[in-house]
Amino acid sequence: MKILIVEDEMELAKDMADYLNDEHYICEIANSLSSAIDKLSVHFYDCILLDLMLPDGNGLELLKELNPQNKHTGLIIISAKDALEDKIKGLNLGADDYLSKPFHQSELAARLHSVIRRKQFDNSQIVKQYNLTIDILAKEARIDNKAINLTKKELDLLLLFIGNKNKVLSKSALAEHLSGDFADMFDNHDFVYAHVKNLKKKLKTHGYNGTLHTVYGTGYKWEA
Amino acid sequence: MTKLLDRPFKAFTIYSLIILFCSIPMYYWAVDYIWSSELDEHNQIIKSEIQHQLDQWKNDDKDLDLLIENWNIVRPEAKLTEITYDQVKSDSTYEVELNSAFIDDSDMERFRILLTYLDINDRHYQLLIQTNIDSGDETILSIALVTLVFFLLLITGFIILNKRISIQLWKPFQTTLEQLKAFDLSREKHIEFQPTDIEEFEELNQTLKKLMEKNIAVYKQQKTFIENASHELQTPIAQIKSKLDIYYQSSKLSKAQSDMLDTLQLPISRLARINKNLLLLAKLDHSDFKDISKVNFNELIDESLNLFSDYIEERELKVQKSGTDILDQSCNSFLVETLLQNLLSNAIKYAPIGGSIHIELAPKKFTILNDGAESLKQNMIFERFASVSASQASSGLGLAIVKEICIRYSWQPKYEFTKGQHSFSIDF
Repeated sequence: MKILIVEDEMELAKDMADYLNDEHYICEIANSLSSAIDKLSVHFYDCILLDLMLPDGNGLELLKELNPQNKHTGLIIISAKDALEDKIKGLNLGADDYLSKPFHQSELAARLHSVIRRKQFDNSQIVKQYNLTIDILAKEARIDNKAINLTKKELDLLLLFIGNKNKVLSKSALAEHLSGDFADMFDNHDFVYAHVKNLKKKLKTHGYNGTLHTVYGTGYKWEA
Repeated sequence: MTKLLDRPFKAFTIYSLIILFCSIPMYYWAVDYIWSSELDEHNQIIKSEIQHQLDQWKNDDKDLDLLIENWNIVRPEAKLTEITYDQVKSDSTYEVELNSAFIDDSDMERFRILLTYLDINDRHYQLLIQTNIDSGDETILSIALVTLVFFLLLITGFIILNKRISIQLWKPFQTTLEQLKAFDLSREKHIEFQPTDIEEFEELNQTLKKLMEKNIAVYKQQKTFIENASHELQTPIAQIKSKLDIYYQSSKLSKAQSDMLDTLQLPISRLARINKNLLLLAKLDHSDFKDISKVNFNELIDESLNLFSDYIEERELKVQKSGTDILDQSCNSFLVETLLQNLLSNAIKYAPIGGSIHIELAPKKFTILNDGAESLKQNMIFERFASVSASQASSGLGLAIVKEICIRYSWQPKYEFTKGQHSFSIDF
């Protein structure tokens, strides 16, 4: 899978590339609007991560260039502006998702996973991992075709884990995934333990073949 | 507090009271002096008349004795007594108080006396003329009464004039004051003062105008600064957050290092949110949030409660919702969501563990109540970075954002503390 990261902050772009560069993703970086347009004219990308504030123009202009020929290219807007108008405008112009800075890499990976699934596999709503199947639309998870009863938050976490295979996720990343911006309002994120514990237990009792590790006592890793 | 014109009015009143009071004895002395000298003159005239009349009886001593005897009976106020030459003295005038035998009144009467001496037929006579003069207290009383009446007239006049003058005189001042009261720095609207022909007020208006223009300029500058600063901060914050995520993936992390990374997450998230809130505040000041629709509060509250459900469970809070479910307003749903999330997260955070939160919805009012120990600082609560509580996790901007959103839609935010409950309400 080829990903184009359009971002003028090189450090940030490298971090995204670093995080996403595993067996699935090959990341390329464009640090301006013009170089992004150049790259797009030569190569096909499965998804573009697009910063809106670029030195030579607004990232939204790329959206207009993109539309006709890249039907299967996913697009996630990454903006420092957190401006509602930009979000709506971007989504109207064909962006698939919107993420405002700063964000956890795991959040980006999960969104990317979801966008590519929808774009590449004809709007597929099924996620598979070993003997685990998740139907996104029905909000239902099955192991060996037997339904497991997951709460909404457990399902959310499960999708986050699947989007971040073999990555160590911090408690804070999990809390922010569940509660959004307001997670830091509260000093205690212990509820994350409870959700993960329950999820682990349910996966185990239903005989899931993969593993969800606790790493260093504070983080989690989904091995696949 | 007293009104400006009331102060000189008080002084004027006291001053006129003193002057009028002092004038009472002055008037009395003046009246008494005039009266006494008039009576003395009158007594002298009587004396001359008596002398003139008696001179006609000069020749006959016997007739004269008879006449004087009769005279003294008929006119006791001018009494003639024969004396020896040794007893003749110079004339004297004086006053006495006597109980007149002829008036049916036990009061003492004041008399003006002329004690003089006449020579008739080489005989010496003492003439005592006594004329009734008013006793002093009557004069004083009348003068005092008249003075009082004038004093009252003076005061009434003062009051009426004072009112009229103050209304007219202070009109430009009042207008300026009303304009100042309505002035809101954050709206950046300049005030046009009404021109006035009173020099002091015109000077005041000009000075105020300059002051306000300066303030508005500084305010604008400050806002731009905050906005730029928070924009600039976004990228470094994003970099720190992303570096932490990358560092977390390192396979050689010790438990201590991983714990350290973990403790860094919360302050960074907090930093990110404070910064986002600052940006939102700046945006609220100058953006119009055009996307307006009918927003159902009930639905958004349920969504927010769902988002915070973990925290509610963790703090063992009892959340109750009551009232109508048809509270809706034409506004921007993103802003209402922000407003509700700020209020709800505060309630969840500050309610004691095991406490309760009550949400009341009425067609024109929305209230969130939560248990609490003591009242927060009422006047500061909606201000930016007003540390109204000792808790550390607050960004200090949540309620300022609530206030700004309310101002945008002319809603009334209110905080109260009653019966051990914090109550935040919004009147639509």
